[in-house]
Amino acid sequence: MSLQGEFTSALFDRSYTRLPEIFSSPSPASRFTIYRNNVFSSMLDALADSYPVVAQLVGEAFFNAMALTFVQAHPPRSRSLVDYGEDFAAFIETFTPAAGLPYLADVARLERLCVRAYHACDSQAVSLELLAELMAQPEELAELRLGLHPSLSILPSDYAVCSLWEAHQPGGDITKVDPCLPERALVLRCGLEVELLALDTGTCAFIQALQAGLPLGRAAHLEGHASSSFDLGQCLALLISKNVITQLLTEEKARP
Amino acid sequence: MNSKNTLGLSLSTAALALALGSALSLSVIPAAQAADDMEKCFGVAMKGKNDCAAGAGTSCAGTSKMDHQADAWKLVPKGTCEKTASTTSPTGFGQMAAFKAKS
Repeated sequence: MSLQGEFTSALFDRSYTRLPEIFSSPSPASRFTIYRNNVFSSMLDALADSYPVVAQLVGEAFFNAMALTFVQAHPPRSRSLVDYGEDFAAFIETFTPAAGLPYLADVARLERLCVRAYHACDSQAVSLELLAELMAQPEELAELRLGLHPSLSILPSDYAVCSLWEAHQPGGDITKVDPCLPERALVLRCGLEVELLALDTGTCAFIQALQAGLPLGRAAHLEGHASSSFDLGQCLALLISKNVITQLLTEEKARP
Repeated sequence: MNSKNTLGLSLSTAALALALGSALSLSVIPAAQAADDMEKCFGVAMKGKNDCAAGAGTSCAGTSKMDHQADAWKLVPKGTCEKTASTTSPTGFGQMAAFKAKS
């Protein structure tokens, strides 16, 4: 085994007794324990930084125990600490002690989407003037495809993920939240600010259809069946005001 | 002119145009406090409430350890930073750049 591999095994396997040879006296075992402790503690801190609402929902003691179990089985794979814990939500789903909080994994998914949105590429929104020019050829609107901002993502959940998240922001109130009401979260970054919105089923289906690359006409039509309360104008206004529309692909441009 | 532009429009085309028109009319009202109208203000955020939730391994994200920390910032409406009281600032107010807290 390479020195580096041996070092990693020793770090993550507490029963690993043979210490890597780079350690010299005095007391290599206790010094290695200090190093290992620092590695684990920095990874626990990383998870707590990336999943602050999950941490608040379960409390510090539970969170630390759950995070430690995760860290032991998931050495970091990315050089960037921001990426650490990408699969924390999937882990929470299988973590039996958290089974009583069925919404916890989705809250973790939401928090990961917020971090991703924060670090997503910049992309300039299409100007209002350009959008207004589309009105000159309304017969082309149905075939128009919209490119959406790279920070945008949607999380449909069986639980009230948005309300739970908001209740744990400053001034939030958890007493009014029923965690078992399904919610659809929209996450995006507008300027430097990551924003979270709860969507109705119609708006959610429409944006998902746009994400899948469907042209405007078909996306709006699909959606018409899904929900009667859907307001296409309001939905487009939302996308425009949040600088989400970054590309207009007409029929010719959509073809390679 | 294409005859489809006038009476031949299908209902869905008309509906799409109407929706886009209403979206555009809603959008001319600028969103309150666009990012351009904000400024970074140092020394005014309360403990743990500094801006930018950037995740692990970053040096911002609600990580300030004390009230009015001199090197932690918060986005505030443009023009208000240097009028906001700061207990750590030598000027007594927020500043546009990180500063050394008075002792």
